[in-house]
Amino acid sequence: MTIAAGSLVHIENFRMDFAGTTVIEDLSFDVMRGETFGFLGSNGSGKTTTLRALLGIYIPTGGILHIDGRPFTPEAGIRLGYLPEERGLYKKESVLAVMTYFGELKGLSKKAAAAWSMKYLERVGLGDKAKVRVDKLSGGQQQKVQLGVTIMNDPELLILDEPTKGFDPVNRRLLMDIIEEQKKAGATVLMVTHQMEEVERLCDRVILLKGGRAEAYGTIPEVQNQYGGTMIRVAYSGEIPASAHYEISLRDRNYAELTLLDTVDEALILRDLVDAGVLIRSFTTSKLSLEEIFVSVYGDQNEMAGA
Amino acid sequence: MAQHNLRTVIAFEVGRTLGKKKFWIITLLVPIAIGIVVGLVTLGNTSSMNTIDAQSDASITFTYSDASGYVDPAVATTLGGTAVTDDAAAIADVKAGEEDAHFVYPANPATTPTQVYGVDKGLFGNGAYEGVATQVLISSAQDQIGDPALTTLAQGDVSVNAITYTNGEEAAGFLGVVPPLIFLGLFFLTFTLLSNQMLTSTLEEKENRVTEMILTTLNPTALISGKIISVFIVGFVQVMVFLLPVLVGYLFFRTSLNLPEVDLSSFSFDPAKMIVGALLAVGGFALFTGTAVAIGAVMPNAKDAGGWFTALIILMIVPLYSVSLVLSDPHSLVVQLFTYFPYSAPITAMLRNAFGSLSGWEAAIVITELFLLSAVVLQLAVRLFRYGSIEYTNRVSFKTVFAGRKAKSLALR
Repeated sequence: MTIAAGSLVHIENFRMDFAGTTVIEDLSFDVMRGETFGFLGSNGSGKTTTLRALLGIYIPTGGILHIDGRPFTPEAGIRLGYLPEERGLYKKESVLAVMTYFGELKGLSKKAAAAWSMKYLERVGLGDKAKVRVDKLSGGQQQKVQLGVTIMNDPELLILDEPTKGFDPVNRRLLMDIIEEQKKAGATVLMVTHQMEEVERLCDRVILLKGGRAEAYGTIPEVQNQYGGTMIRVAYSGEIPASAHYEISLRDRNYAELTLLDTVDEALILRDLVDAGVLIRSFTTSKLSLEEIFVSVYGDQNEMAGA
Repeated sequence: MAQHNLRTVIAFEVGRTLGKKKFWIITLLVPIAIGIVVGLVTLGNTSSMNTIDAQSDASITFTYSDASGYVDPAVATTLGGTAVTDDAAAIADVKAGEEDAHFVYPANPATTPTQVYGVDKGLFGNGAYEGVATQVLISSAQDQIGDPALTTLAQGDVSVNAITYTNGEEAAGFLGVVPPLIFLGLFFLTFTLLSNQMLTSTLEEKENRVTEMILTTLNPTALISGKIISVFIVGFVQVMVFLLPVLVGYLFFRTSLNLPEVDLSSFSFDPAKMIVGALLAVGGFALFTGTAVAIGAVMPNAKDAGGWFTALIILMIVPLYSVSLVLSDPHSLVVQLFTYFPYSAPITAMLRNAFGSLSGWEAAIVITELFLLSAVVLQLAVRLFRYGSIEYTNRVSFKTVFAGRKAKSLALR
């Protein structure tokens, strides 16, 4: 077992079978202390399964899943904030009672937990709902309470499974701000999301999960480069030749989009085109967005799923 | 930390249950209903006593004919009677309201009923006729015997005090049976009151989707233990609330409620039987509550859990349906099965212990079995909760739980 220096979450050769079917085949990655890490994949790719195995809710078929150098248990001593995909709170109790309860379970005194809860509720606009039963709140308000429970007691590690699910755009921004604050306060964040703009805004590194393996892994620029990263849009006259360096993803009369297949410099491609007799009237270059990469990676799965 | 969390769980569970109006409404309904019944009974008894006293004081006039020759005319006259020979005319007088009643004593009052004809004075008032007609015969007979003690013996109003011996020692008899049976009553009462709460208590985490938050914050053993202790505390409060009116009724209204005076010193408390009874009750309670938790962890909702829970209750109470066999033939195959099958064992063994047919080695086996199985079931319940409660909407198979993994269809998220 080799754990990278500074790694807080270490997953190595993780395998998960269910009823003879392999869900995760061989997954390895590290989440470094203080970074925000995006865990990406299509529906059913095994993200939640990985998180549950990491947190000891599932027993892995094979591999190593460590947090802070050992398998996670609630008594392990690490301050964890976990926002699961399946959200839920004690619905018949008051908001303050539920938050205080979880605060106490996370090691705060009752008084400190109640004080922290009130402060948080005021901040997210639920100060007047402290004594209200949880099931009397709207879905979005319950989500805010759940997030509050998650970030109580200054977690060292935040694991968020689709944190913005159920939030409107205004509250999504509030949530992103809160996550960013936690990050600035030193928390390590492991986040599952389908919102690529969130990933681009918050994440230092990402992993794309496909077929039970890591399809891509690294910083966002590294992932963009891994997928050809750059696109050249060109208006031209003549005939664009085939090349091992790019793929012609769109050709329409005298307009074409070339997706670069490796990290070759855009200027060299343009020079090659000129050398090949292509008259270039105008051009722009841009990186592939994460969303475009996501669609290109998982588009075939979704088409199959939709078929 | 584990102790802190256990205390936190207990405080939360007890606090939120006792803090609910619904709990107190339901809990207080029982003593209030008991209070109303006690009030009505007291009122009714007082009214009845007044009526009876009034009837006793009220005198009636009657005529009578006596074919037996047992009626003493002096006694009859003292009680307001006048001898006649024409029954038809006497009955006609009663019908006309000129006489309260007419009694026709047959030749043999011991085998043939005495006929009473009277003016209708209502359901309770009419009872006076029968009372007077009977009193005439009894007083006449007493006068003829001439000895009140002989009269009492003739009426069969005698008491017998039996003393029996076991191994040369005086046996306690019925007074020795009652104390160990207290544990059976407590076991039955606490389980009936608490187990449903235990069942729904663990289902709540599942139905509210709190399981993942809990499992990553708290050791499930602490949660389950905390819930069991909380339910016991809540149940204790409930039992106290139920018993309070009973205690008040007995201490302050015993006479008006016609409750018998219980002399605790007359009961025989056999230490061995009491210890065995207590251990059987605790072991049985632990086994059944552990099983209720396990059911709650496996089932997706209270409705589905209800069926299994009913089966559990049937298993528990089935020995009560064959109580006569348990008492009369404790060594029969059926009773032996009930004694050693874990879920019918507590009640069967407690009955046999109270009635003295449970030997020491049998008690040891059953108690060991109950405590060992309780420990196993508690571990199983924790495991089922840990790996079963994550399946929010599905029933979990034991195979899945023991494999420690979930079905593919549920895991692919």
